[in-house]
Amino acid sequence: MEPSKQELAGPQSGGGAAQRLQLSLLSQGDSGLRLAGELLGRALTRRVLFGRAATGLGGVALASLLNRNLFSAGGIEGVPHFAPKAKHVIFLHQSGAPSQIELFDYKPELKKLHGTELPGSIRRGQRITGMTSGQDSFPVAAPIFGFKPYGKSGTMMGELIPHTGSIADDICLIRTVHTDAINHDPAITFIQTGSQQPGRPSLGSWVSYGLGSENDNLPAFVVLVSQASGLNVDQPLFSRLWSSGFLPSSYQGVQFRAGADPVLYLSDPPGIDRASRRRILDAVQAINKVKAESFADPEIDTRIQQYELAYRMQASVPELMDLSKEPQSTFDLYGPEASKPGSYASHCLLARRLIERGVRFVQLYKRGWDQHNDLPRDIALQCQATDQPSAALVKDLKQRGLLDDTLVVWGGEFGRTIYSQGKLTATNYGRDHHPRNFGVWLAGGGIKGGLAIGRTDDYSYNIEEDPVHVHDLQATVLHLLGVDHTRLTYKFQGRWFRLTDVHGEVVQKALA
Amino acid sequence: VKTAGVIVALAAAVSAQAQPSALTILSSKCLACHGAARMSDLDLRDRAAALKGGKRGPAIVPGSSGSSLLYQAVKRDTPLQMPPGKDALTAEEIEALKKWIDAGAPWSAGAGLEGGGWWSFQKPVHPQVPPGKPHPIDAFLEARRRQKGLSAASQAGRGTLARRAYFDLHGLPPTPEQVDEFVNDASPESWKQLIDRLLASPRYGERWGRYWLDLVRYADTSGFETDHFYVSAWRYRDYVIESFNKDKPYDVFIKEQIAADEIWGTDVDLEGILRMPEAKAENLKRRIGTSLFTMGAFPIEYTYYGDQYRAEWASEAVDVVGSAFLGMTLACARCHDHKFDPVSQRDYYRLAAMFAGSSEREIPLGSLFDVQTATRGFPLLAHAEAMKRMVRNMKRGEPGSEAEAKRDEMLKRLGEAYLRAPERAPTAIVIGHDETIRPTHVLKKGEWQHKGELVKPGFPAALGPGPEVKDRERRKALAEWLASADHPLVARVMVNRIWQGHFSHGLVRTPNDFGRQGDAPTHPELLDWLATEFVARKFSIKEMHRLLMTSEAYRMSSVAPKGSAEKDPENLYLSHMNRRRLDGDAIRDSILAAAGTLNLRMGGVGVIPPLTKEEIQAARMPDLWPANPDPSEHNRRSVYLQMKRSLTLPMLQTFDAPDTSQSCARRETSTVAPQALALMNSEFTAKQAAALARRVGSRETPGTTVDAVWRVALGRLPSDQERATAVEYLNKAGLERLCLMVLNLNEFLYVD
Repeated sequence: MEPSKQELAGPQSGGGAAQRLQLSLLSQGDSGLRLAGELLGRALTRRVLFGRAATGLGGVALASLLNRNLFSAGGIEGVPHFAPKAKHVIFLHQSGAPSQIELFDYKPELKKLHGTELPGSIRRGQRITGMTSGQDSFPVAAPIFGFKPYGKSGTMMGELIPHTGSIADDICLIRTVHTDAINHDPAITFIQTGSQQPGRPSLGSWVSYGLGSENDNLPAFVVLVSQASGLNVDQPLFSRLWSSGFLPSSYQGVQFRAGADPVLYLSDPPGIDRASRRRILDAVQAINKVKAESFADPEIDTRIQQYELAYRMQASVPELMDLSKEPQSTFDLYGPEASKPGSYASHCLLARRLIERGVRFVQLYKRGWDQHNDLPRDIALQCQATDQPSAALVKDLKQRGLLDDTLVVWGGEFGRTIYSQGKLTATNYGRDHHPRNFGVWLAGGGIKGGLAIGRTDDYSYNIEEDPVHVHDLQATVLHLLGVDHTRLTYKFQGRWFRLTDVHGEVVQKALA
Repeated sequence: VKTAGVIVALAAAVSAQAQPSALTILSSKCLACHGAARMSDLDLRDRAAALKGGKRGPAIVPGSSGSSLLYQAVKRDTPLQMPPGKDALTAEEIEALKKWIDAGAPWSAGAGLEGGGWWSFQKPVHPQVPPGKPHPIDAFLEARRRQKGLSAASQAGRGTLARRAYFDLHGLPPTPEQVDEFVNDASPESWKQLIDRLLASPRYGERWGRYWLDLVRYADTSGFETDHFYVSAWRYRDYVIESFNKDKPYDVFIKEQIAADEIWGTDVDLEGILRMPEAKAENLKRRIGTSLFTMGAFPIEYTYYGDQYRAEWASEAVDVVGSAFLGMTLACARCHDHKFDPVSQRDYYRLAAMFAGSSEREIPLGSLFDVQTATRGFPLLAHAEAMKRMVRNMKRGEPGSEAEAKRDEMLKRLGEAYLRAPERAPTAIVIGHDETIRPTHVLKKGEWQHKGELVKPGFPAALGPGPEVKDRERRKALAEWLASADHPLVARVMVNRIWQGHFSHGLVRTPNDFGRQGDAPTHPELLDWLATEFVARKFSIKEMHRLLMTSEAYRMSSVAPKGSAEKDPENLYLSHMNRRRLDGDAIRDSILAAAGTLNLRMGGVGVIPPLTKEEIQAARMPDLWPANPDPSEHNRRSVYLQMKRSLTLPMLQTFDAPDTSQSCARRETSTVAPQALALMNSEFTAKQAAALARRVGSRETPGTTVDAVWRVALGRLPSDQERATAVEYLNKAGLERLCLMVLNLNEFLYVD
């Protein structure tokens, strides 16, 4: 298992990393192997490694290790394609689709149109869901909540979200995002994976595949799901939304949950403490190593390391989830809900803690925005639960100097209709799904703050200026990470796939 | 990520010539797509057609290479670059084409060009077996190894072989007695006898049926928001397992799944018949094969009906046919001509038209008498349901109150009423004929609203014309075309899958892609030899197992011979056996087998095992996960567990269970930390470790206890070093913990 110095560091293999590599390899045995993998993953290309080190079993083992697993720590060769503006992403997905009409798309004329029939010239044969296709009238419902200008930029946003208003000068609001899907599951799948059909990798998987991880004790792609605050039945979320699809499973999102087991099977079973856990692990590893010596199979080494990572996660994850050492000022910033496990506010706070620890991609889901009926009641409840923590996250990242290289994205999977679903009364209405335009905001690494992009028609029904397709949004996220969305590809069953399929244009206007 | 050593194995003869002739270049590099397939309407098979050109205009302007699209495309300095992908022509070839066009593009003797297609589109020819080895497989492999300067590993020990054979054919470990039986049998026939024993066991169909189910994206629910339950999908699962166990010839297996109704008839006119005649029962069983097309991942929603539903359904059917039988990814051609393979969009919709006029329906599986008997009992069922409504509406009270006592009494009567109620008459959801056959259009960009050219049912042009297609027998034509002895792809694709099941990788390492984007075969002659043998052996899959497993190659050790790892790090040329990790199903089954808790009952509705609160947290509707009331059912083989598209069992998911939205030709074997957590900390492994401890019991000494655990779990005795470590651990932590430790050993998860 001992590769010679010559094999590891050829004349052109670029000095430092390779030097350190052979030293650590020769001096540290197994942990040296791991370190070597990490160094190499970052500093050397795979091909160089293969070329130089693929003689002698140690070399083969190394190369294979790098290929299959530790490689995920280092991302792939040549990525980022250019200097990144952001290194981390927090995606605050608002599941169920928040109404752009109450929050982002200010239409003062709507008061006059309230109760009138939506003109056919506006609807233009738009496909509508089965929930309202039976309605014989489509009355315009003006929002019962007001709007006001926020920040120096004076961006008009709903009075329901004053905290978001307080970061108006840090965010870029896109009022004209549009999608292809009209029902939740295909639409969330679309915004997460670039395809309405299941089976493709999630955005977070693509990013961790391309860029790798910066933390040895935590997964690169972490998922947090919080439940609805409104009273309506909310939409389900399936774990395949954070699946790595056809990418290797080491890139799949790992869900952290409230409760005793933040990661499934994380806690030791009853009767096993940290010391006895270490003992069983040592016994497993000792016997595995007997086998490893006779087979020289790198898989065995990899598995040994993954058992160690699992052991480290048993400490690092609870430490991460433990908010008790956060000062009162933190809870003042994120709001009182932040101390409640599983709440959106606590998840925003956890997102910051994850970014601090170098996690690449944090995906939050807030359920409960699907307001087909009783929208005024439920949207107020949802905003109460999300407005302050979302804004607090941006402020907190900023005050810690983390916002410069962290991109924050806030948005749902589509928008909502101007016409009322169900009976329109003076105080109540509902809104159906609307894929043609909705609002998304971005903040942080590489984003121009204090900006609002796009214009819709008087009914917030059609885009008049600056359409931004979901694929464009995805291309922009990757661009900010230094990744050319047309070049981050993976071959599966005879085809090269990418997040944006064959589409996507970077939204240049949004860039700082 | 893969650093695949791409081997250009075939069609190399042309480029090897010093002076390539223009027409041979056209034939070998262009005709696959621009021959019979007429991609972009361009046909380069004869001069007139080439001059006429395709969608983009004339391909060749005689005398002027500069203005010839063909030259521009191969030169690749404009956006139009041909051949697509990585297969650019060499400088010599480009030069030869230039000279030829400039010379007026002479076409010898006016003859049209033939063939020149992609290797896998050419019918396999039985190749000559190289000399030197008694077993043809070894002869082919040895010839290749010699070329590459590789040697073969020694033969594996008998204990290893027994374990390998059991896992390969059954997906389960042998018991210590089964290992002994083989190890102690010195007769030269013992290996063959072991193979025969294993093939005769029903465990075989459960293992190999599982592979097929992965391939055809089997699941019990529809997925998406609604996640509807497919009430009789499990019958298809049982049909598949039985087909493998009975060694149903593969051609028959294909025909049944695609067109059992059209080939064997749907005559179930059973009037006056108490017991169904055997032939008819047999036909009904065959028809369950067509359930294949009734269990895809579908968003069954209010926005999804009529033309849209039909378009999606037919398209899903074509994709399944492409992946499972043809080993081709056809889905690209739904929206546009395939960019790499000679499959046009028209071809795609011609295949979709095979399914026009067909749709799902529920059919009774019993005789008319059975159906009537069941209806006779309907009043009892109605009675029970009425009682259920009453109980639901009853007032509740404090425990022990009169109200509760009344309710308990009603509950008891309700239970009795349900016991008297009749069973649901057995049915299956299969496909059959609609009254009308709607026309099939090419759909622009694959969108159902945008109907283009009208097409008739037919086969991909590059694969030949195929048989005549008659209405009401469209699927029959498709089935017979696929199952014909002459089909270039079908036998190759299947023998490659069988090979993969024994050697970890196929001879073509992209089992669902035999097209230009796939890997070339590492052993093209061997692949063709096996494909032609498969046909000659009447498509018997069990015969192929015997053929493969009796080779020396299959019995090689998994320790690589010296030097091979450097020359062939991916072991493409099989200098040794590949070690491999068990898949999730086999891991779960093996844990149960080792613990002695495995319940071998076969068939029936998918079993729902209990999940902990933590495990079920991800489920859409946890209420719809009622664990089976009979605990012994929880320990059935994994293939019999319910497969819910919205909730994969966490344990299986951690070990790379397939995403059932599309065909899975080979399971991933990732190595990630959550696997360690699942095996160390889950309630499942804790329970099974305890069962294993009870099964083994404490023996005379710690050493003999360790030996017994090793024998049961790993099929062998520990080495001295292992025993010492294990005894030390046993003394500290106890037997249960020792058993948990052994279930976490690498060796438990790997087959040598």
